[in-house]
Parts: sequence; structure tokens; C-alpha cells
Amino acid sequence: MPVFKTPFNGYSVKFSPFYESRLAVSTAQNFGILGNGRVHILDLPPTPSSPFVELASFDTADGVYDVAWSESHDSLLVAAVADGSLKIYDLSLPPTSNPIRSLQEHSREVQSVDYNPVRRDSFLSSSWDDSIKLWTLDRPTSIRSFQEHAYCVYAAVWNPRHADVFASASGDCTLRVWDVREPGSTMVVAAHEFEILSCDWNKYDDCVIATASVDKSVRVWDIRTYRTPLAVLNGHGYAVRKVKFSPHNRSFLVSCSYDMTVCAWDYMVEDARIGQYGHHTEFAVGLDMSVLVEGLIASTGWDELVYVWQYGTDPRAP
Amino acid sequence: MATPPNPTDGNPPTPATQPTQPTNQDQQDSKVEAPSQTSPTSVFVNSEPMREEQVQNAVKFLSHPKVRGSPVIYRRSFLEKKGLTKEEIDEAFKRVPDPPPSATNVNQDAEVKPSSSSQPQAVVQTLQPAAAAPPGTISSMRSRFHWSHAVFAIGLLAVSGAGTAVLIKKSIVPRLKTWIRKVVLEEEDDIVKKIDSKPSLAEEAAAAAKAAAAAAADVAKASQEMLNSKNEERRRFEEFTNLLDVQVREMKSMTNAIRKLEGQSNTQGRASFVDQEDHGIAISNSKIMAMIQRGERPPNIRDINDQPPNPNQQPSNPRLAPRAKPWELSQAHNSSQPLQSQVSSEGLTSKVQDNGVTYQLNGDSSVPWWQQKNVKITEIENGDELKAGIYGQRFSEPPVQPPVQRSWVPPQPPPVAMPEAAEAIRRPKPAVQREQLVDDQSVTNPSDVTDELLRVTKISESGGAMEVNGGSLVLNSSVEINGGSSVLNSSEIQEDHSYEQSVHST
Repeated sequence: MPVFKTPFNGYSVKFSPFYESRLAVSTAQNFGILGNGRVHILDLPPTPSSPFVELASFDTADGVYDVAWSESHDSLLVAAVADGSLKIYDLSLPPTSNPIRSLQEHSREVQSVDYNPVRRDSFLSSSWDDSIKLWTLDRPTSIRSFQEHAYCVYAAVWNPRHADVFASASGDCTLRVWDVREPGSTMVVAAHEFEILSCDWNKYDDCVIATASVDKSVRVWDIRTYRTPLAVLNGHGYAVRKVKFSPHNRSFLVSCSYDMTVCAWDYMVEDARIGQYGHHTEFAVGLDMSVLVEGLIASTGWDELVYVWQYGTDPRAP
Repeated sequence: MATPPNPTDGNPPTPATQPTQPTNQDQQDSKVEAPSQTSPTSVFVNSEPMREEQVQNAVKFLSHPKVRGSPVIYRRSFLEKKGLTKEEIDEAFKRVPDPPPSATNVNQDAEVKPSSSSQPQAVVQTLQPAAAAPPGTISSMRSRFHWSHAVFAIGLLAVSGAGTAVLIKKSIVPRLKTWIRKVVLEEEDDIVKKIDSKPSLAEEAAAAAKAAAAAAADVAKASQEMLNSKNEERRRFEEFTNLLDVQVREMKSMTNAIRKLEGQSNTQGRASFVDQEDHGIAISNSKIMAMIQRGERPPNIRDINDQPPNPNQQPSNPRLAPRAKPWELSQAHNSSQPLQSQVSSEGLTSKVQDNGVTYQLNGDSSVPWWQQKNVKITEIENGDELKAGIYGQRFSEPPVQPPVQRSWVPPQPPPVAMPEAAEAIRRPKPAVQREQLVDDQSVTNPSDVTDELLRVTKISESGGAMEVNGGSLVLNSSVEINGGSSVLNSSEIQEDHSYEQSVHST
């Protein structure tokens, strides 16, 4: 399986929704505490034993905590930068013309960015300044700002079937469901006793959502019965940093954690953990499953490595 | 936000407002799923009734004096963490009485009291003189009312001061005089007594000496006391200065710390977050952390200008049409309805897919290695059982993989994958639907090419049998006009006939 060594510590990895073999990696120097950042655009090699092909890379003044591909333009991507700005890059333009936009509105680090997969024209950014902002590509300023959380918002994720609904996970230990047509959040779920670092919607059950928390568990909720979770997935040894539902399977999800492993789960069975990958040697913080290729998983971590492998195979196999 | 809002009210038309949907699909503004509601609401809204017990607990919490002093956002956050809904929290806030401005009230009361206590004393004495003062002015015009009020008050105060002075003179001075007289009388008596008794000189001298000694002792005591008090004062003063020094030192160190923090404000904030996330293991970034806490900047950071060179740079046009998501495809396959969820995307055009990359694949496999599903698991960390069954074909209609094209060209009309969809488009039931379709197309599609494609497909599919839609069918319009005119002629003739017939019949 191919491995890519990034010069900085990895923070996030995302597959392109247009090209099966393409992915973007966001990295930050000095573990993201203080330093520059870089976004890499990689292509999978023709054989698994060859190295990745780096198509492009973009340097930023501060660390890049997340990256998201546009769903409308195959060459555009949005980067969430630790200085509170969002940078938009166009791969079809020469590197000297990039970035094409810098959107500076957040007063603190932008932790995550997510592109709307239904409307394909807007994206959300969530920040440590407790707010979430809604943007479109054609406007230089945000359309809306959602300010209700009492602490950092670590993730904001669009619902894959409902164009106006999204969920946010915050350090104030609540998960909120929002509708952009409403003035405020429509649901508040007290999901964990500790900070919630990530959330993701189920692509096949539009009311099911998974949350990952500092309490080392992943909980799967049906927001119609949000008092108790559908499943509590224990197995990680430390805080769970990211969780992702499979785009091809309704009960399959993957998670990565500070215990340096990536775990695969089937939340509908009794023994939920069905896979564990210990290929990282530092915090595993970035994770994605390909929408175009069933079973393809990518992960990155503070050990400056990016792995791509098929579920069921060994990511470190040659 | 007292009641869960119904998102169907007054919203811009969404593509998924079909009345003939199967109930197992939850589109936007979908049917009821919540247990307690009977009217259709979005499932993404909390529809439970308010729990009285929770509200009362919240009221108790909010009434606690310590909670009163905390910012409102932390109170709300605490209640949310406890699992209260927005409505319950709002109700609790409503029920807790607004904290009275008790501090300010008390101050006002204290100020009022001494002034009012001094008033009655003066009033008693100064009624007469004051009565004469500004009654005339009080009864004067309204605009002068406030001024006369002030004048009255001043006059009252002055008179009261004068009255107290008089009182003092009258009462205290006589007392003083009598006391002095008494003392003098006593002295005279003493002197007389002494003359009468005729004490000896020695006794006198002894008495005088004793008195002097006593006086000296008194003086000594007094001076000693004064010395003591002076010493105490000095000590207190020294202590005070010491405390001040300590405080000054602390302030100096704080300013230093603040300066340091300003120097690396971001880093310190981020570092503290790292701590708060409660990692619990020795992280390898301790070196970096140590450097930052010492105030040093890690040496490998460069100054990078990442600002856009041209902030108005237009993004390049997309080369590919967006691809349908696997969950959308499976849904479309499950349902017999037209592709609702793909209406806003280019459902009809999704068949044209572009890999974007031509791969020189090995001659053995026609499929890239990352797409192969390994049946046998060679090494898995935990040796867990094979779960390849999960990846059994979820949808019997695998995504279409047409031959790889380099770039996307407007194709011939794509093959009609869903005859029902074509049917539906050809004969839309409500005209609103198609207008919504077109509107959404124009809103959500940044590229004009796809719009045109839609028109092209409509034209080609319908073969001219469609109703004219806003003049977009340039192709057929001329034909139809001619046809229409001929039809009109014939119909006119027919109508004349029928009219005549009807005339005849009556």
C-alpha cells in the first residue's frame, strides 16, 4: 500500500468527489501549535508498491487544520487555516495564481470545513471562536453565522440527504442539529460528558448520526430518540478524534484516535468493532472514506504519514 | 422559539415537495416520525413536550445565588449539557424572577435616609421662616416649579444651619458658663479652705511636690503613650510599605508575563487547548511546547505570504459534472419514483462520468488496484474475522462506468436510464414542479452548460410533443407556430360550423 511522507504533521485527508485516485492532505508544522502549513494534492500510484504522485502543494502562513473538496468544481478545494481564514485553491490555475480567495472572518482557528453534497454550492466552517459560518464560492463574505455553542466547535457536517440540515460537534459537550432556514439550532443533544471532537451523518439513515468524544467512545444516535444512543462503541484507548460513516454501507463506520489506531465498526452487531489498524506511530487525526471507491480508506496523523488502503487489507503491506 | 418551527411554512420551493412519495423516504419537510406530534414536521426538530420536573430543577439551579453571578451563556450551556431542550431552558429562564437591582436600591435608600433624618429637625424650627420664603414662587408658573423647588431647599438648609447655630448658642453656652462658674466656685472654696486650715509650709511643699510628681508621672505616662503609639504607627507604616512593595513586585511580574503572552498569544492559547483535551500520554511535541513556554520561536518557521495574488480571480470552469453519490443511486433504485434527490443535481447527466485520469494499467487487471476487493485478508492487526460480507453488492445496479474520457463534451442525449423519469418529465403533473425544477437548476448550477443540456435532452426526448416551456424550445417553436396556425384555421371553421348548428337547433 502506498505511503506518503509529509514534511509537516498531518491533520486531515479527503478524497476527491470527482477523481477516484485523488486526495488532498492538510498539514501543519510543529504539530499545529505554531508554524506554517501546507496542503498536498496527491494521486494514487498505478501500483500499490509505487509512491504517491504529488500533483500540487500550497504553503500557508499558519497550519491547515482541514481541507474540503468542492462538489461543484472538480479543481477547487477549501482549506481551513489556523489563523482563522479559509483559503480557496484552484488546481486548474498555475500555482502562482493560488489561492484565489482568502476569507478572513473567524477570530480564532478554523477547525473544520465541509462542503454541501446536495446543493453543491455552499460550505460550512467551524471554529474555535464558538461559531459556524456558511459561505458560497461567489461571495466574499459569509452568508450566515451560527453562534450558539459555548465553546469551540470542532466539526460541522452537512446532512447527506437534506440540503439545509447540518450538525455540529462542540467542546461544550453538545451536538447541535441546525437548519439553515431557521434562525437557530433545532436540536440540542447532550451527547457526551466530555468534549465532542467529531460527528458524521449516516448516509443511508438520514436521522442517524455518530459522535466521537474525548471520553474514548463513539456514540451512534437517532436524533428522533436522542435521549439514549443507538450504540456506544468502546474500544479506543484515548480520545477519538474523527469518525466517518461509510458512503456505501449503512452500518459501517471508521474512527481514528489519539491511541494511534484506526478502528472499523459495525454498530448494528453485538461485537461492534470489526477492524483495528495500528499503522500510525503518533496521533491519528485525519480519516476519510472514498465516495467513489467502495472500501477505500485514507488516514493521516502526527507521524507525518498518509496511508491509503482497502478495508480488509493491511495499510503497511508493501 | 416556543414551539418547534414547521419548516414547511413560507419556505422557498424545494425540489422534494412531491405528494406522491413513498413513506419510507425522508426528504426535506418530511412526514411525521416523532412520537408525539400528529402534524407533519421535520424530524430534525425536537418535538417532545416540556418536562415540568426538569424545568423546576432548572429554576432551582438558576435561583442559586452563585449561579446568578455567572454569565448567561454558561448557565445555558450547563442546562444543555444536562439534557434540557431549548424550550425547557427558555421556560426556566422565564420563571426565574429577574434579579432585582438590589445593590443600587440599597445605595439609594442609604442616601435618602440621612437627608430625611436631617430634614425633620430643621423643619420644626424653620417652618415659620421657611413658610414665608417661597410660597409665592411655588404657586407661580409651572416652568418655574423646579427652580422654586431648588430655592426652597437651599433656603431650608440655610435656615436650618442658622437654627442649629442659635440652638448651640442658647443651650450649650449657658451650660459652659455654669460649668465654668462651678469650677471657679470650687476653686475659691478650696482656696478658702486652705487659708482656713493654715497648713505648714512643709506640708504645703510636700503636697506641692506630690502634685508635681503626680503631674510629672502623668506627663511621663502620656509621653510614653505617645511614644508607643508613634512606634506602632511607624510599624504599621512599615508593614504597609512592605505590602505595597510586594504588590508592586507582583504587578511587575504580571506585566512581564502579559508581555510574554502578547508575544506569543496564539501559541499559548493553542497549547492550553492541547492540555485541556486531556491526552494523558507523554506527547512527542513536548520539546516544542517547552520552547514556546520559554518564549522562543521554533526556528523552522518561515514568513509566508499566503494571500491571494488576485482576490477577484474567477474560479475556472468545472471540467466534470458532479457525480451521483452512492446513497442517492441506491435510493433511486429502491424507489419507483422519479429521481427526486437528483433533481437538484444533474441526475440525467450523471451517467457521463469521467475518471479524469487515464491510467496505464498493467495488462493483467483492467481495474485499478485500489478498487479490487480482497477476498482473503492477509494481515489484519487484530486478526478479526472476515467481514467482507458487509461489502456484498449493496445495490444491484452498480455505478455505470463508461469508457474513460479525457474531457467532458456535451453528448448526444444520454440513454434514458429511468423510463419513469423520462415519463414524468414529459408529462409533469403540476406545472409548478417543472418551474421549480428549472428554478433550482438555475440556482444550484453554476454552469450554464448543464442547463442547456437539460433543454437539449428535453427537446430530444419529447420530439416536439412537449408543451412549450418559456420559449426555450427554439427548435420546435417555428414548426409549432405553423402547425398552430393551421390548426387554428381549421378550428375556427369548425367553430363556425358548430355555431351555425347551434343556431339552427334553437
